[in-house]
Amino acid sequence: MAFPNKKRHGGSADTSILTKEGPVARIPKGYILNRLTTLLLTILIAATLIWLIPRLSPVDPADIMLGRMSAAGGTVADSEQILATLQERFGLNDPLIVQYLKYIRNVAVFDFGLSTASFPTPVAVLIANALPWTLGLMLISILITFFIGNLLGALMVWDHSPKLVRVAIPTAMVFTSIPPILSGLLLMWLFSANLGWFPLTGSYGLMVEPGWTWEFTQSVLYHGFLPALSIVVVTFGFWALGMRGLMITVQGEDYIKLAEAKGLRPRFILYRYMIRNAILPQITAFALKIGLLIAGQVLVERIFAYNGMGKLLYDAILDQDFPVIQGVSYVIILMTAISVFIVDLIYPLIDPRIRHEAE
Amino acid sequence: MSVLDLKDLSIDFPTTKGVVHAVSDFSVSIAAGRRVGFIGESGSGKTTTALSAMRMLAAPGFVSKGEIHLHSLDSTNLLGLSDEAMRKVRLRKISYIPQGAMNSLNPVVRIENQIWDGIIAHEGKVAPLELKRRSTEVLANVGLPAHVGELFPHELSGGMKQRVCIAIGVCLTPELIIADEPTSALDVITQRHVMQTLREVQDKIGAGLILIGHDMGLMAQTVDELAVMKLGKLVEFGPVKQILENPTHPYTKDLISSVPLVGGPSFLDSPPADHTNQTATSSSLDTPLFEFENVSKTYGEVTALHPMSFQLDGAVPKIISIVGQSGSGKSTLGSLMLGFNTPSSGKVKFFGKDINRFNSREKLAFHKDVQAVFQDPYACFNPFYRVDHALSFPFKRFGLSKSDAHTRTAMEEACDAVGLDPNLVLQRYPHQLSGGQRQRLIVARALMLSPKLLIADEPVSMVDASLRSTILKNIYDLKEKHDISIVYITHDLATAYHVSDYVMVLFHGQVVEAGPPKAVIGDPQHDYTRLLIDSIPWPDLNRDWGSASTAKAALERLDSMPRDQSAVLRGDIPGFQLESM
Repeated sequence: MAFPNKKRHGGSADTSILTKEGPVARIPKGYILNRLTTLLLTILIAATLIWLIPRLSPVDPADIMLGRMSAAGGTVADSEQILATLQERFGLNDPLIVQYLKYIRNVAVFDFGLSTASFPTPVAVLIANALPWTLGLMLISILITFFIGNLLGALMVWDHSPKLVRVAIPTAMVFTSIPPILSGLLLMWLFSANLGWFPLTGSYGLMVEPGWTWEFTQSVLYHGFLPALSIVVVTFGFWALGMRGLMITVQGEDYIKLAEAKGLRPRFILYRYMIRNAILPQITAFALKIGLLIAGQVLVERIFAYNGMGKLLYDAILDQDFPVIQGVSYVIILMTAISVFIVDLIYPLIDPRIRHEAE
Repeated sequence: MSVLDLKDLSIDFPTTKGVVHAVSDFSVSIAAGRRVGFIGESGSGKTTTALSAMRMLAAPGFVSKGEIHLHSLDSTNLLGLSDEAMRKVRLRKISYIPQGAMNSLNPVVRIENQIWDGIIAHEGKVAPLELKRRSTEVLANVGLPAHVGELFPHELSGGMKQRVCIAIGVCLTPELIIADEPTSALDVITQRHVMQTLREVQDKIGAGLILIGHDMGLMAQTVDELAVMKLGKLVEFGPVKQILENPTHPYTKDLISSVPLVGGPSFLDSPPADHTNQTATSSSLDTPLFEFENVSKTYGEVTALHPMSFQLDGAVPKIISIVGQSGSGKSTLGSLMLGFNTPSSGKVKFFGKDINRFNSREKLAFHKDVQAVFQDPYACFNPFYRVDHALSFPFKRFGLSKSDAHTRTAMEEACDAVGLDPNLVLQRYPHQLSGGQRQRLIVARALMLSPKLLIADEPVSMVDASLRSTILKNIYDLKEKHDISIVYITHDLATAYHVSDYVMVLFHGQVVEAGPPKAVIGDPQHDYTRLLIDSIPWPDLNRDWGSASTAKAALERLDSMPRDQSAVLRGDIPGFQLESM
């Protein structure tokens, strides 16, 4: 039943909001406040879960540390006392609610405590060292993937695509069904071991001093190429297939037919009428993917011995290093929540049909 | 002088089941400044023919024989042009105004940019100020203010979008305009306004016009010459006057007679039965079947429905028609009756109980007793299930089924009742059926549940004109043969005139005129009702449809009318009381 939508007819009244004012002026304060509350609440709930879940495990971190110490130094004298001291120092004797409140307070300022595996390095330092590597690798590879994937997906549907593209794409899609570790190993075997074009492991050369120098940048790009490629190769298919479906829907829309009847150039129709509309849901997916990507990158970083968050997380899990696991999980959630927040804010600018609720 | 010639045109669609000859041996020529109508039911090939002149046939269709000549070109044969040369013909020489104006504009691009895209594609770089001047000018040509250019499509009403499409179509003053059912989704008042705008602009630029449609009345009021098509063949061609007055082909005669006329002969086979002898059997009902008690509905600051009260007895089945244009609140009324929407004030009562306070058992019974037929037959079936599942599911769900055999019999009876062969339709999937068949199945589904009331919201506005009377006959039979009361929501006054016992005319959420159809529609008293009736295109050249300016003036006059006036009541009928507010 077609319910009357009276607002639609009020077109003329809304003109002022939609035309001359700049994009920023269009986001009302109430809406930002509303979204911000949601963002903070999401982070709080996530932080709580991250805190809660390890506490359901019977493992006592102090016990693990003690075990590690004894493994390193043979026997440990006064183990009972050391255990008590450690438990005291980690605050494990406080009532749960006190532990929780302390944790929330600390997390708010990115204080995740000390790593138990690389004691006494603060977790925040470990993360701060790893994050730029992951962000760099991930952002570059996900942006390339997003661009290539969507473009290829669009070309698969477009009537005027070169024949070669149409044949080549499905072949390339085969890679999508390969898990990233295998594609990583395959690329390593081909380009590093056999051809020797790229280094086998590491995030930069051993001979290079880290710093803002051309030499270092070069080395980073050189070392990052294969890990990035292995991510691109296995994930572009996700975007391509999604885009293909969206493009098919858009292709059937009446406005594409009218665009053609207007005598527009086919390429112009592709960009401005087809891709411009089909890409909208992909942007939401992009924001959601950012958090997942760190998790997905764990194994890639591991096999390339790349010093990012993935490797940090992997090692922390092996070592049962709870503070690090908590810290990394928290950062992943933070990044997802923030990117969703940003997309929420900009979405009405890229799709005029969506309005900020507060308007 | 002829602008476009179609010569012995044949269009084929090769499919896996063999070649479909969509159009065969079609020849028509269109002169400058002349309006030619292509009329026929869906699938008759009228759109395909017109699109071939744009070289925009949907794959895998192709022109298998014949020639298309556009005389202003150096090499006139359009079929021989390169893709790039053809692209330049589109919009500049031949423009196309699409059928679904609702979705024909890019939703994320401002209106003026969509006009500019067309200009730039053909003229290269044009100064921004010049672009702005030209888009403002073409918008003004179709009666839209300049600021519309800065809006996005979703901010416009259907009629405005259709006029934007016309503006795009004429922005490069083409030699030929192809308008593909440009008003099929609009109500009569907007339709008249849009058609007259199109006619005016086309006159002004002196272009030829091909108008595609299935409404004989609209053709009669708009075109000079008419091409009647059936199954891909041209069955009759000539001046519209000659075809209307002396149709030679039986199909043309059918088309003309299928248009229901106000005051004309009824398209219902059975004359309304005399119910006086039946009243004795069921008049013992004390509580009315359905009741509105001061019901109103507001959305934010907008009032969709002003407070209204009526009682429908249900002792004797009645068909109550609710008419008005889009946005008049008639669909809101329907959704309130179905309980899909809760009233902002007042009570909706079914057998004396407030339907919004039902417990779950009562609600189930209510949904069985009050059934609905909606506008879009394509959206009303779950595409994953066969028809028999769609029909039997509610039947079982409401506990009416005694056995599988019983369900089967009930389905077959219901199909028979709406004139469909159960053996043919029950095993099919919805996509294998036509719009008309689907809509009849929805009536059948409602019938199986033997409801007390049926709400039919624009049940025939999306099906072919030739099928409309059949479906309305099915609905009418529900009242006559199955004692079901019906609320018929429509913008089509002619059908309301024939099927209903009582008519309410809604304007801005208010009843402005109500009474028996012979009085309300046959002899309207309220200005709005008159405008609605004047806007109907008649298949009769002696009836004047008025000009664009009269239509516009009438609308403006109505909009400035005071809103609080009471309804013009034209007499009561037994079994239904509308209370004047």
